[in-house]
Amino acid sequence: MSPDAQHPLLSTHLIAMKTRREFLRSTVLGASACWTLPMFVERTFAQLHEGAKDMATQPVTGKDGTILVVLQLAGGNDGLNTLVPYADDIYQRSRPRLAKKEKDIIKLNDHLGLNAAMPYLGSLFNEGGLGIVQGVGYPNPNRSHFVSTSIWETADPSNRSTTGWLGRYFDNACPGADPTVGISFNKSQPESFGAKKNPGVCLTSPELYKWLYSGGEKAEAEEFFANLNQPDDAPTDGASIDMPAGGKTGSVVGEGNLEFLERVALDAQVSSAKILELASKHRTSVRYDGTPLARNLNLVARMIAGGMPTRVYYVSHGGFDTHNQQANSHDRLLGQLDSALKSFFTDLKEQGNDKRVTLMTFSEFGRRVEENASAGTDHGKASCLFVAGGNVKAGIYGKQPSLSDLSEGDIQHTVDFRSVYDTLLENWLNVPDVKPILGSQFPKLGFI
Amino acid sequence: MLARADDAWTVGEAAHLLKRAGFGGCPSEIEALHALGRKKAVASLVSPAEPLDAFPVPAWAVEAQAVSDMQERMEQRKKMQAEIASLPPEQAEVKKKEFNQAIQRVERMQGLEAQGWWFRRILKTSAPLREKMTLFWHDHFATSIQKVKAPALLIWQNELFRSKSFGSFRELTQSILFDPAMVLYLDVQNSKKGQPNENFPREVMELFTLGEGHYTEQDIHEAAKAFTGYQLNRSNGKVFHNRRQWDDAPKTVFGKTGPFDGPQVIDLIFQQAEPARFMVRKVWDFFVSTPLDEHVVEDLAARFRSSDYQMAPLLNEIFLSSDFYAPAVIRSQIKCPVQYLVELLKELEIADPPNGFPLVGQQQLGQTLFMPPNVAGWDWGKAWINTNTLLSRYNLAGYLTKGSADAEKMVDGERNRTPGMAPGPKSLPQKWPGPDYEKITPRPLRENPTALVDALIQRFFQGAVPMKARESFIDFANAKKGIIFTNREVAELCHLMLSTPYYQLT
Repeated sequence: MSPDAQHPLLSTHLIAMKTRREFLRSTVLGASACWTLPMFVERTFAQLHEGAKDMATQPVTGKDGTILVVLQLAGGNDGLNTLVPYADDIYQRSRPRLAKKEKDIIKLNDHLGLNAAMPYLGSLFNEGGLGIVQGVGYPNPNRSHFVSTSIWETADPSNRSTTGWLGRYFDNACPGADPTVGISFNKSQPESFGAKKNPGVCLTSPELYKWLYSGGEKAEAEEFFANLNQPDDAPTDGASIDMPAGGKTGSVVGEGNLEFLERVALDAQVSSAKILELASKHRTSVRYDGTPLARNLNLVARMIAGGMPTRVYYVSHGGFDTHNQQANSHDRLLGQLDSALKSFFTDLKEQGNDKRVTLMTFSEFGRRVEENASAGTDHGKASCLFVAGGNVKAGIYGKQPSLSDLSEGDIQHTVDFRSVYDTLLENWLNVPDVKPILGSQFPKLGFI
Repeated sequence: MLARADDAWTVGEAAHLLKRAGFGGCPSEIEALHALGRKKAVASLVSPAEPLDAFPVPAWAVEAQAVSDMQERMEQRKKMQAEIASLPPEQAEVKKKEFNQAIQRVERMQGLEAQGWWFRRILKTSAPLREKMTLFWHDHFATSIQKVKAPALLIWQNELFRSKSFGSFRELTQSILFDPAMVLYLDVQNSKKGQPNENFPREVMELFTLGEGHYTEQDIHEAAKAFTGYQLNRSNGKVFHNRRQWDDAPKTVFGKTGPFDGPQVIDLIFQQAEPARFMVRKVWDFFVSTPLDEHVVEDLAARFRSSDYQMAPLLNEIFLSSDFYAPAVIRSQIKCPVQYLVELLKELEIADPPNGFPLVGQQQLGQTLFMPPNVAGWDWGKAWINTNTLLSRYNLAGYLTKGSADAEKMVDGERNRTPGMAPGPKSLPQKWPGPDYEKITPRPLRENPTALVDALIQRFFQGAVPMKARESFIDFANAKKGIIFTNREVAELCHLMLSTPYYQLT
């Protein structure tokens, strides 16, 4: 088919020129300002699939495509007690109380072992499916939680960007404007979802993810509700306040507060019907813990089983800022992580979806080599991260960081985190051009 | 100096002041404020008549009682440790665990009581700006009960913020070094001579006074040595400076060298030009939320600095300025969850919220009093809103107005569990009678749906909503009106009006 022959309703030209709200109200759905929700949702998603087939770029949908799960370890995970250089003298001497001995680890090779709180990841390493990247960080590291998290989420070490790396992925590489292309399970939108056009949606409980109304004439009321909860047709020049760019908080850059609220309201409707349907249909037989992380991964698994078109899911596991009495709390957090991942991947395997999902962990920084006076560790710099999934080539990637050649007592990075992002974007999400997303290309790693 | 607005003002402007400098109000409260004239209205907010002790703290939080409880607990712990010394290790662990769990249970219940106490105060106070400033300081010098654990300490900190809310920012920063809750939260007591902890000085400079870019890592490193030896004496609940643990060697901070201690470093910070600008920007962002020119910042900061960082004159100047009442400012700020909940209750004239409603609301919307997510406090503005929290706001309004009968679905008990707190309510009360619609919308008003809608628009939005929204409301009201407009229909109309993007703005 010649590049000029276009789908009559969803030409690239149409997508490029129209704003999202205009697209959703296009002649496909009739010119009326009002439509019932389920019909609208079905049509939109169907159109997106149709139109996507004719496009040169990859299909947006995660319905049959690959899926990325981003798992944030919030607080600064202590990489040295996660991927343990148990045989290193400096490690043992620097942490008289906290260092893991050979008996406290799952041996991976003669130098490194995994914290024994993670038996599932240990077995995943041996069976194939777990990649561990060492020494991940960025130039001129920052030790503030907020600044460093921002840097990882925006993929901008100068911390000036107002969009996130995933938001830029949605905008540049996911044609169509399905708001559920990215779903996060935190109470607030992660900075990595900040976008110019499509910042994804945020969800904690599918059953409550709708407008509850039980009075008379429900359908009518819902119609009024739908009408009041979408952006105005009229042009908004001069009507919106010139707000400082809000892109970083998961909103769209340059939006005034009212526009922002209206867009979120529309996104909520569009996504809620679909999500509700899927959440009620699919239940799992695998057992998950009660931790928030496990429950959220459970939801992710259900949505994947149900065929959600989501490409990127974002979940968080918190509490890693272990300045004080680290030993028990850190091991417990890693244990919770391990258990949640075990349930998640077992679930995916049962569904037959294990080869479609890759999961990446990240943390804003590692921790210092030396333990502090309170049997904890303070903010550090480079650390390790995990990449797990049916298509991951098991192994340890990057260079083992030196514990003698430190930077102000901290591990120096040998892998720029954007290399990890680049590898996932190009090799897993099949992005043809990462430059609009990461600014430039970065040397890729071999884990996928 | 910011240009002054006239003393004559509209009801809409009075509503705007009450909403930004407080938590909103019902029509009669707004009218009462309006009747004072702008100048007296602002004065009544900045110098409230209500005494500080108008809302007595829970008995266990009173200083004498709390200290006595702490001492008793220490005794009990010593006894327990002596008892288990002779036991085999597994049994000893079990006994220790039981002891700690008993304490945790008490603390969790106290935590719930503390949150309820403060929320109730915010709702019922006649000094709303003081409560808003208390919330401002709580967010600024963020401290969470999740780590501090002892609720009495959070209430003491809350009282500190309240009593110093309109005073000197510099003095408050000095006081916070000696606040027990803050000392525990930022591990200040672990900072000792030879092993300084950088956590506190970093947060003081980065988050409390200067912001990134106005200090160096070296400043933090040196300042950490000055902040050594500050410890909490658990037998009397007071923070003191243990000189034996203090590093008295010379340090160089901001180019000045000397054997500084903590308070002296704080003084050095306030000798810089930046803290005044930093706080002016933050106050403006919190109350006005529109962009601010740098030269206006400099102007306000200069006066703020020379007044020794007094908050009252700064607030006074902002609330009397014509900039504050500009059309671009009015109804442009996204309500934070506490604002949303309190305003909703006031506008529906509900004096006593249903059991559990304030806490469920805070948890679902992402802002729970005494539990900021981290030491940077909460993220404000657009960060409050995503598809999830927006739907929750609508559903909470539905429950409160009785526009939705699905009370039991409102609370997903599992997800309301927050670590460190007693589990939230399993369900909101089913038998909640709802607002007094006879009072809010008397029967005669309901004869004419247009008049009814306009009255409700005045109550909830204090002014215009977009034309298409008003038309939608009127169409809905007309569709609802059968022979009579019962309370049920009024509830549904209110629910619909509140389930809109416009209602999220203040």
